[in-house]
Order: sequence, then C-alpha cells, then structure tokens
Amino acid sequence: MSDRGDKGPKEGADAPSLEERATHSGSKIGDRRVRIIRPAASEFRRRGGHYVATPRVDAAQGRLGRVYARARHILFGARLTSEEEAGERLSKKTGLAIMASDNISSSAYATEEAMRVLAFAGGAALALTMPIAIAVCVVLAVVVLSESRVIRAYPNGGGSYIVAKDNHGVLPGLVAASALLIDYVLTVAVSSAAGVAAISSFVPAVHDHRVLWSLGLIALLTVGNLRGIREAGVIFAAPTYVYVLSLLGLIGYGLFRVASGDMPVAVLPRDAFEPEGIEPLTALLVLRAFASGSVGLTGSEAIANGVPNFKPPESRNAVITLVWMGTIFATLFLGLTYLATRIGIAPDQFEFETVNSMLTRSLVGDGTFFYYLVQISTAIILLLAANTGFSGFPRLASVLADDRFMPRQFAFRGERLAFSFGIIALALMSAAVLAAFHGSVTELVPLYTIGVFVAFTLSQSGLVRRWWRLRNPGWRLSMAINTFGAIVTGTVLVVVAFTKFLYGAWMVLLVMPILVGLLFAINRHYRTVHDALLLDRPDEPIPVLKPPVVLIPVARLDRATLQAVAFARSISPSVRAVHIASTAESAEEFARRWRRWTSEVPLDVIESPYRSLLQPLLKYIERIDERDDRPITVVLAEFVPRNWWEWILHSQTALRLKLSLLFRPNTIVIDVPYHTEDPGHGVTPRKPEDSSQ
Amino acid sequence: MQLKRILVPLAGTSVDVEVLRVAIALGKPAKAEIVAIHVIEVRWNLPLDAVLEPESERGEGVLDDAVKVAEQAGAHIETELVQAREAAAAIIDTARDRKSDLIVLGMPFRKRLGRVYVGKTVQGVYVGAHCAVLAYRQEETR
Repeated sequence: MSDRGDKGPKEGADAPSLEERATHSGSKIGDRRVRIIRPAASEFRRRGGHYVATPRVDAAQGRLGRVYARARHILFGARLTSEEEAGERLSKKTGLAIMASDNISSSAYATEEAMRVLAFAGGAALALTMPIAIAVCVVLAVVVLSESRVIRAYPNGGGSYIVAKDNHGVLPGLVAASALLIDYVLTVAVSSAAGVAAISSFVPAVHDHRVLWSLGLIALLTVGNLRGIREAGVIFAAPTYVYVLSLLGLIGYGLFRVASGDMPVAVLPRDAFEPEGIEPLTALLVLRAFASGSVGLTGSEAIANGVPNFKPPESRNAVITLVWMGTIFATLFLGLTYLATRIGIAPDQFEFETVNSMLTRSLVGDGTFFYYLVQISTAIILLLAANTGFSGFPRLASVLADDRFMPRQFAFRGERLAFSFGIIALALMSAAVLAAFHGSVTELVPLYTIGVFVAFTLSQSGLVRRWWRLRNPGWRLSMAINTFGAIVTGTVLVVVAFTKFLYGAWMVLLVMPILVGLLFAINRHYRTVHDALLLDRPDEPIPVLKPPVVLIPVARLDRATLQAVAFARSISPSVRAVHIASTAESAEEFARRWRRWTSEVPLDVIESPYRSLLQPLLKYIERIDERDDRPITVVLAEFVPRNWWEWILHSQTALRLKLSLLFRPNTIVIDVPYHTEDPGHGVTPRKPEDSSQ
Repeated sequence: MQLKRILVPLAGTSVDVEVLRVAIALGKPAKAEIVAIHVIEVRWNLPLDAVLEPESERGEGVLDDAVKVAEQAGAHIETELVQAREAAAAIIDTARDRKSDLIVLGMPFRKRLGRVYVGKTVQGVYVGAHCAVLAYRQEETR
C-alpha cells in the first residue's frame, strides 16, 4: 500500500524527524492520500511552524520522580506556561502589599530611630522628632514624584540601573545596580532580624536562637516567592492591610482623644535616657537623627524597578501604587510621630519596648485586644518587609543578566514564572549576612539605606540629563522635579554616609566597588565569548571538515569497546585504539588479543610503570594532536549500569577522562554508552574472544 | 452485528463530541477498536504531500480533543491525520484499509434554501463506503 520515498533523495532527507509522511494509493486514480504519522504527537504539538512541548514531556518518570514532582507541586504549586505570565501580574492592591511592605513597615520603627538619636541630647530634644519626620516625608514626596517620572520614562522596569546606565553610562549604572543589590540583601537580612526581634518581645525564648529563627523565616519567604510573584502577593497581602488598618485606627483614635482633650497618660520606658542628655544638641546630631529617620525611605524604589510586574497599563498602575505607598507611609509616620511627641513617649535606652508599643499601650491600655492586634500585625509586616527584597532583587538581577552583567541563570524563569535563581541566590546571601551579624538588627541597620540613596541620586540625576537631551513637551517641569530630587537624595546620601560611616556604612562603601568590578568582569567574559561565537555573516556557509582523527581509549576487549570501535569507524577512516597497561606482560597480552580480534583498527599500547592512567593518555593525545592538523576526536566506551546505585561499583574512568578533556582545545569527546540491555544501535555484536578482563 | 472496528471522521465542528460519544457507546460493548480520523483537503494547485502548517495544527487539535473526550468516556481511541484531495475518498479508503465495520459520521445541523443540508463528504461516504455508515445529525435546536 505504502509507496513512500517516491521522490528523489534530498539533502538531509534521511535526517530523523518527529513526523513521517506516508503516501497510500487509493481505490481510484487520484484518490491517493498522505498519512501524517506523528508518534510523538502527544508530546510535541505543532504550532506556527515549530513544535511545542506538551506537559507530558515534563511529566515525572518513575516512582521516585513522581514523588519528587508531587512534593514540588505541594511546595511550589503547579507549573505555569509562559503564556500564563500575564495572569501572574499584580493588581494595584496586591502590588502595594508585595512591593511596598518594606516602605510601609518602616513606619513601625522610623519614629523611634530618629528619637533614639535625639534622646542623646536630652528629653527636650525629642521635640525635634516631628520636624525631622516632616523633613523625611518631604524627601519621600520628592522621591515619589521623581520615581513616578522614572516609571513613565522607563516603563520596562529596571529602575535606577537602567536610568543611570542610559543617561550617565555603564559605570554609574552598575554603581546604582550594585548599590541596590546590596540593599536588597540587607533588606531581607534586616527585616527578618527585626521580625524575629518583634516576636522575641512576646516570646523571650526565641531571642536565644534568633539566627535560626531568622534563617527559617528566610526559607519560608523563599518558598513563598518560588511559588510565583502573584501567589506571594496573595500570601503577603492580608498582613500588610491588617497592619495599615490597625495603625490608621490607632492614629484616628489617638487624634480623637487629643482633640477632645482626653489626653492619655504616657507609658514610661523601663530605662529612659538621661533627661538632661549626654551630648550637646548639635547640627550633626540632628542630621544623624534625620539619617536614622530616613530609614523609612527604603523600599520606595522597588515599585519603579518592578513596573513589568503590574497588570496593564503597567506604568499607570505602578505610579498609582507608588502614590498610595507614599501616602500611607507618610500618614502612618507623621501620625505616630505626632502622637508620640504630643503624648510624651520617650524611647527605651535598652530597647526593651518599642516606642510604638508604648504609644499603643498609652492609648488603648495594656493587654487589650487592640494592643495585641497592633503588635502582632507590626511583627508580621516587619517579617514581610523582607519580601520587597525578594521582588526587587530577582527582577534587577534578571535585567542585569539580560545585559550580560550577571550570570545568565538569573534571567531564567522557573516553573512558576518566578526568577528562581535570583530568589535562591538572594536567600543564600541574606542568610549569610544574617548569620555573620548574629541576627542583630542593631549591627545590621547602619549598613542599610546607603545603597538606596546612591541609586536614587544616580537615577534622578540621570533623568535630569535625559530631559535636557530629549526636551519633550513639559521637559522643564520634569527636569526641575528631578533636579530637586537629585539634590535632596544626594544630600541625604552624604548625610547618611557621613553619619553612619564608622557604624558600619564603610563596609557597604567597600563592597560596592568590588561588586561593580565583578559585574564588569562577568560582562567582559560574555563579550569575549560572544565575539568568539559570532558568525561573520548571516549566510555563513557550513565549513567542510576533514574526517577527524579518532582515538579510542580501551581498557578491555568487551561489548562496550566493540560498540565504541564500530561507532568510531562510522565517523572516520582514521581510527586508532590506545590501551594503557601497568606491566609489560599485560601490555603484550592485550596487544596479542587485539591482533587476534581485528587487524582493521590499529592499537597503541602504552606501558605505565607507575600505574597512572590519565596522564599517559592525555600526553599521548597531546602528541598525536601535534602531529596532525585534523581535530582529535576521543571516543569513549562507557558502561552504564542498570540502576543508579550500581554506578559506585564502577571506576568511572570514562567520566574522569571526559572531565580531563573538557577544557582541551581542538578535541571532541564522544561518549558511547553501553547499557547491559542495549544490543547497540545498528551494531551486530560479534563475540569477542575474551571479555573476562 | 458485532462491531470490531469503527472509523469516526472528525471535521472539527460542533458535532464532533457527540458523534464520538455515539461511536464509543456503540463500540464499547464489543470492545471495538475506534479510530478518529481528520482529513485535510489539499487544493489541486498544491502537491498532495505539501506541508500545510495551519491545517495540520488544526487537525492535531481536533484529534487531541477527541482523545480527551474518549478518555473522559473511559475509552481509548487511535487517531489518524490524513491529507487528500477529497475527504470522502480518503475516509472510504482508510475504512477499507483498516477493515472497519462501521463509519460513524457527524452532520452539523445546517439549512440551505429551507432544507437540511447534507455536505458532500457525508454524501460521498454514504454512497461509496464498503461498510456500514451511520450518519449522526445534530439536533435542530443547536
């Protein structure tokens, strides 16, 4: 019936294909039909001129594989196709929870951070907390306004790195990128440590194992983020909103009591600072207080970096979320600061209780439901603030990887469309930092915030150059906003770097240039590789190579060797076997057996008196290579055991040889595996004379 | 009649699911082998074995859906994708080659000039098939 092959042979016509077309004659003339035979149709679907792998291709094989796949499914969720990426985008509400939790959570400690510095100058100096809070909010307003310009100018995300690179050049771009990468790592470390500190206020036993608890939290966040960005948002949305609503309720209630003249009695700290102070109230002290309060500005760049994570229209949704974030933070920060200074709350010298806790107790009383609601939601949001790092770092790393400044693995999306490699790398680095600093918030905080202000300043000044260069309609206003933004954030950067330098900021300032150098080095490598691999022209002809010189290292004469020799002879007429023997007798014996087996493939036997195998073989290949300009092809006969555990019973010489030859130029290594149940592809086994060795 | 082999031509219309279920219902008691076939009609100005990407994709989709419907009905079916000049001749010849006892055809409910319209493929198979042919017409209300 079938009369396939009715055409003349074509170039590549016998190349294997997933599809076969068989022509069948019909019962009448002209009723011929072509059967399209697709044995792998359930695994590879045809679409638009190419094949699409179906879920069956990725289906787990074997019982162990299925158990592993099931465990992955439970832990990380079902796999998502690339087309489902749009469904993984964030709405404004989820985006606020996932990208702004860091910034919003800062309101839990920003007031206290400023107060703790001012308290060195005595109780009266605490009155300056409110002006400092207003100044921080002014800076935040400038940052929000400027970042909204970044989002509009660069809707594809990348934030400060892209802006700085586009407008200042590669080096400033990488400075911004490395500053942000460091800050994201620190965000995760600080937030987990702060979260554990908040828990240990309720459960003192946690304090002794705070590093372990913090690492556990990082692991939890890692799993949450590996499940995909949208799902992470769903997990983390509720606590963020509970925190915001409970704090707004507290502030509303406090303002009502103050306005109605029902002034609450301030809860006093267990160990108050000296009322007269231990330092004079200098401009430097006020600046330090401002720098500490500026910790509340961290996290505001995450939205500009992650614009593509939003649902369309991405830019608009990102700007609205940014404005929501700024408004919520400013309301909470100003409200809490106003109430704390108005009621007369002072910070505790040894951090036994937070300012917010004392304020809440003053307003709603100790041990009430609302007190616990505020405290628990504060603890949770501090933990979740780390998530901003998890949304920012992988996205920025992927942009850097696309630009070939970071390893390509950072640009790959995992089964859940999350940048899995970036998430895991961030988790490992932040865990290392956390462990190195013993999980202490106090030790980690001075390292914080510098990176974000470096990035802000570079992106703002970058946009100034952009507006000047493009001069689009409205460029003067945009330029004025970003100039002001650059000056303000630059000033804050100088203040923060100056006042925190000795407290640990120097480490960040040291690591940043090292990281920039590393990014440059990675890029140089990729450029070199790219240049080496680039085709000279798109229609580059396929070069015609001479058949290679084929060397077959043989340990014994057996079926695996037979198959390897057969394969070697199929690719080249110049085949030579080489055997390493440990004694003269075994060398002679092997040569004799080889001669008896075949005279078609010449054999070199090398006696190695010191029983080394690889070195004589490598040296032999080297010498052959020197004498012949054809590429050397080493064909390895490798026995593959039926079960994985049998693998350890074999010496794995082929594997070691493969590794040794991996980096050798002008050398092709071909592995010819031999399975015990494998009769060989196209090889008719001829019983060797002796396979007992 | 003991049904051993049933051929179900599927054109990718709304009647496909129903006609396949009918074929499964008929074949299940005797554990008949059911083959779903989709014929891509190749225009005369093209070679018969021309690679017709959109049509092949659509055909594979039709047959994939058929496999899913069969799995839901607890049956296993084979599928066949064919290119021919005329669908009816290809169906008849495939039925002959596969030694089918029955061809179950689906007819979407269509009217032309106030009368139920029977397509040329259905007519061609009805007239030319060597084996029994069952035409399943969709309900009017659909």
